[in-house]
Amino acid sequence: MKKLLIFPAVLGILALMAWGFYQAIYIAPTEATMGEVQRIFYYHVPHGILCYLFFSINFVASMLVLAWRRSNPAKSLAADAWALAGAEVGTLYCTINLVTGPLWARPVWGIWWTWDARLTTSLILWLIYVSYLLVRRFAAGSEMQALAAVLAVFGALDMPINYLANRIWRTQHPSPVIGGGPESGMAPPIAAALGWNVLAWAVWGLAVLAIRIHLERRQQAIDNAEAVAALAAD
Amino acid sequence: MGHKFLVAAYCVTWALQLGYLLWMAAKWQRQRSRMRSGTHSRP
Repeated sequence: MKKLLIFPAVLGILALMAWGFYQAIYIAPTEATMGEVQRIFYYHVPHGILCYLFFSINFVASMLVLAWRRSNPAKSLAADAWALAGAEVGTLYCTINLVTGPLWARPVWGIWWTWDARLTTSLILWLIYVSYLLVRRFAAGSEMQALAAVLAVFGALDMPINYLANRIWRTQHPSPVIGGGPESGMAPPIAAALGWNVLAWAVWGLAVLAIRIHLERRQQAIDNAEAVAALAAD
Repeated sequence: MGHKFLVAAYCVTWALQLGYLLWMAAKWQRQRSRMRSGTHSRP
């Protein structure tokens, strides 16, 4: 039954991705001052918004890892798989946001990068989660998961700072177009194309997250079975 | 002028997304061969 559902789900996701692409390239109007390059917006912004979603999943799961660490190790292990998957997918989305940003900035601002508050806090956010993944990759021992979870909980503090950066400080990065006050907002066809791309990349990302959680749970089961087999052999 | 930046941004996005999917596929394959060579049953 589960396998029967996978095929239509994959088809649905691919159709949604194609529809988002069609909206961004063919339906959304060409922006008056920036021209065609403004269409980077339809990939850059959804990845920026959605990396918050995946880092938030990592944050909640990391709290649960710490809460259940002693009282319920099995649940803690499951939460750890969610935390790892959230950090990996979030880092992927944040990386795309950080790469597409300069590709948009160069033709529009004339520079690839500037150390304003929004860009700098985005880079710090990315570095925090790369550090988290490196801790998980190279730290050994039973305390690794707790150590990574603590890093994730404190690392998540950068998210609200990053979100508020272009609201609090004067930045080269444009002011928010969503929820940025009376002067913010978009023309309806631009908002529709953005909405479709946020939805498409959200569904794509959640599917990737589900696969990654499944892989990590399987890895945990393999590691556990191998440890039991090694003990039995002794 | 702006066109090549637009193409580059879309290509980089898809390359990174599909690269991550490929990495997961390789991991899944490694797990399968470990499960086959191991003494334990499928989890």
